[in-house]
Amino acid sequence: MADQANQANTPGVAPDSTPAAATATETAPDVHQDSNLVDNEYEVEVKLSDLQNDQESPLYSVSSFEQLGLPKPINDGLLAMNFKKPSKIQERALPLMLSNPPRNMIAQSQSGTGKTAAFVLTALSRVDLSKPTQPQALILAPSRELARQIQMVVQTIGQFCENLIVEAAIPGNISRTAGVKSSVVVGTPGTVMDLVRRRQFDVSQLKLLIIDEADNMLDQQGMGEQCVRVKSMLPPTIQILLFSATFPEKVMQYAERYAPNANQMKLKQQELTVKGISQMYMDCPDEREKYDILCKLYGLMTIGSSVIFVKTRESATEIQRRMEADGHKVSALHGAYEGANRDAVLDDFRSGRSKVLITTNVLARGIDVSSVSMVINYDIPMKGAGDREPDAETYLHRIGRTGRFGRVGVSISFVYDRKSFESLAKIADYYGIDLIQLSPDDWDATEKKVQDVIKSSRAKADYAPNVTSG
Amino acid sequence: MAGSSPAPRRSHQWQSPQRSAVLGDILNDDRNSESRHRILLEAAKKEHDRVREEAERVYRDHLQKEEHAKLLAERKKEEERIRNEELLAAERFRLLALKEKKVEIPEIPPTPTAPEPVKKTAPASTTPGQTPTANGTNGTPASPPTLPPLKSGNIFGLPKPQATSQSTSLPSLTGLLAKTPAPTAPASQAPSTVAGGSSLFGANAQANGVKPPSVQDVATETTLDRHSVIHKNLKTLRKSLADQAKSNKALKDRMGDMRREIRKSVGQLTGGAPGVNRTQQSKITGLLREALANNVQSQLVDPSDYVIEPRPATGQNAGPLPSLFLYLLNIFSKATISQFINEAAARPETADPVGVCVAATFSEPDFHWRGAPLIDILLAKFRIVCPVLFGYRGSEKTEQGRARLGWWKDNGRWVPEQQHMDRMTGLGAGFAAISLRKFAMSKKQNPYPPRNYWSAMARIVNTPPADMSSTQCVVLKSMIQNYEIKFIEAYGNAALAALRLCLVEFPARAVDKTPAVHSLEVLGQLLRKDAGLVLG
Repeated sequence: MADQANQANTPGVAPDSTPAAATATETAPDVHQDSNLVDNEYEVEVKLSDLQNDQESPLYSVSSFEQLGLPKPINDGLLAMNFKKPSKIQERALPLMLSNPPRNMIAQSQSGTGKTAAFVLTALSRVDLSKPTQPQALILAPSRELARQIQMVVQTIGQFCENLIVEAAIPGNISRTAGVKSSVVVGTPGTVMDLVRRRQFDVSQLKLLIIDEADNMLDQQGMGEQCVRVKSMLPPTIQILLFSATFPEKVMQYAERYAPNANQMKLKQQELTVKGISQMYMDCPDEREKYDILCKLYGLMTIGSSVIFVKTRESATEIQRRMEADGHKVSALHGAYEGANRDAVLDDFRSGRSKVLITTNVLARGIDVSSVSMVINYDIPMKGAGDREPDAETYLHRIGRTGRFGRVGVSISFVYDRKSFESLAKIADYYGIDLIQLSPDDWDATEKKVQDVIKSSRAKADYAPNVTSG
Repeated sequence: MAGSSPAPRRSHQWQSPQRSAVLGDILNDDRNSESRHRILLEAAKKEHDRVREEAERVYRDHLQKEEHAKLLAERKKEEERIRNEELLAAERFRLLALKEKKVEIPEIPPTPTAPEPVKKTAPASTTPGQTPTANGTNGTPASPPTLPPLKSGNIFGLPKPQATSQSTSLPSLTGLLAKTPAPTAPASQAPSTVAGGSSLFGANAQANGVKPPSVQDVATETTLDRHSVIHKNLKTLRKSLADQAKSNKALKDRMGDMRREIRKSVGQLTGGAPGVNRTQQSKITGLLREALANNVQSQLVDPSDYVIEPRPATGQNAGPLPSLFLYLLNIFSKATISQFINEAAARPETADPVGVCVAATFSEPDFHWRGAPLIDILLAKFRIVCPVLFGYRGSEKTEQGRARLGWWKDNGRWVPEQQHMDRMTGLGAGFAAISLRKFAMSKKQNPYPPRNYWSAMARIVNTPPADMSSTQCVVLKSMIQNYEIKFIEAYGNAALAALRLCLVEFPARAVDKTPAVHSLEVLGQLLRKDAGLVLG
């Protein structure tokens, strides 16, 4: 490859054909002896601008993992996961997080751009594997599903690291007699706090505290208080890393106090949405028709797995019934399930035994099933008392379940009345996105439109019907 | 334990000085004293213990010897068993190979252009002595015969000459794909090479992988062109259906729904227990049958435009077929490939149920034309989206190279590398899912038997080190991962040798050690770690 690249010429430069041909003959003489091709053609090198056209993309990066100085077992683990190059957040944040003396970090990056791998790599690099049962890195996540998922990522990236033990500190998972006996611990704040209090978790040698979905975790209305208590139990010198795709302003101020003197990577509000996700909305005549329209969507485009977000458990159950009748294999996960049952439902979906997941907001954040190619907002996400206002953050996290790591994905939000329409319009306005309208009247036409949208996911200007104006 | 002749011995004993001392002891004055009694008891006990210990030692020795003998016998038995199993495996492999060869025969067409090569296939495969990796050789229990070719790197054929031929075929492809101004060269090129060569694509590879290189690429070239032609014909067909729909309301009403149903059903396929996709499979088959019945009166067309080789007019469905039926086969093919690209790219294991569905659908005798499956429709698409499987090469650093590798453009710009490699991952897994299906237990004909997998693999690993691309490595990796067992089942020892070539020697030869090259080696390590498969 290198040889060919040397032969090649950039388009702008007028090439002197003789030397080019000469080089070619030198590098591969037998090619020209055996073939009777007239080889006066030289190949044109890919334009530099084309190679770098995605420089603004959160996935663009120049270096390799090896260049980041990661140990070989970790690098092999990444390759086994088909990670070949670091994403932007990995490339930029890793050197900062790995530098000594350790410094805190607040990092924001779009959904599906490799945040988890970034902090997992940091944890693996900081852990001393000669002390396999001594807790050294603690990762906190807002739900048991997310904690288990992160645990799996640590194990997969670390599969070639000897003596690596990773445990999930989630309800019902840590033995009461043995306590925590692993170098990396991934848990939910409540369980972690209990374990430390009961002296089943020795935190004295923890070097690293990582908080995923940090805006959600530090929000005072949620788990903020628990996170503060956990931090107060840990060694004062501990390195703190905060990660999320969203950091609303008020949480950001709080985060800066939680992780003082931190290096920061932030995004502007308009940069938050992932370009690879084609965002559309379906204009439904009324609420009851939503079921049938939902089933029809699956014929419009090629779909791997899909996630449907609904507001209530009842509609989750009803949609499940309808879709199963239509031949889909469906998992439904919401607050009615607990602990191990929740794990089993999600495992079905992760393993691909079911390809449709119907869920409420419990799974809006963080869950990474790479083959999800469609997210449906069956109900528009709302917040506040009586669902007063649209929930823009949740919308972003929901649609972020697709378009993972540069893949294309679609999101379709259902609107059927004035309130749902206006709520969606506000969200679109907030992030400055153009939502594409779909209609259930002529499926041939809708199919064509969806196909075109997916094909030109970057030429959105052609599909301008801004939800606010029309 | 007393001797057989106690009397003489006793007399002898009496004479011994020791004995007389003993006698003296016994006759001693204090012979009845308690202490004397104790001493004697003590001595007796000691003697008893000594004897017992000795007996126990002997017994232990005996047990150990017995154990050893048993182990030896067991080992022999195991060795015998392994030998038998190897023989059996070899025999079965040979049988499979023979079966596959038989499959070839009906394909021999009478027309002058294509048939010749196919005929060649049969003789080539039936003469096992010719090539070291031939089926016969693989069949023998001892692996050594397969190993030497592996070491020299030519299990799949001779890399260098083939490379030459490959690069010959490239410009023509370039012309087709990138529309660069090089049409005259390939045109003049093609005929001359064809004249020189005699065989057809895959002929050698199918049989045993070892082939006279020049022949192979010529073959490849002819067939490849044909793939692209079919691909174009399918576009025309799609257009024709759209036109027909304008004047045929029944067709219009049904066509869109059928298309969407097929796409949806392909998307619903999941892994899991056998039969888990029965509903989807019967839906797809049902829709295709409906199209074949042609109640909506779509035009009849000649399927010759959609097959690689001309077929003699015999067997079932020998005449023209409803265009709607061919169109739906096209839609089905498109849906499967799209599923590979969109789903298997992220999770390669999802390709497998789709592969099963492809095999089940194209092997359905009702959907055959002139006695053979119409799977060329799918392959034509595969050839366009994943050319490296069909022997095309190129540099990722050049415009033409990327075009040859099937690197997509989006709005005139190359799609990001990650996206391209993802797509190649899905397509590699999809290709394996289609080409490594086992039909041993089925009465149906395998529409795309494993020899195609072998030859696709051969075309990649025969690339000279300087021409290797990351795309090839990615495709190669994903066509192996999760399919190593099926591959070994199909090819036995030869598969092991091939895997070693792919995962050890091929990456070691690479000039440019890219992450993609390295990930082939990591796959080798994974197989060792997870499956205990040591490739050396």
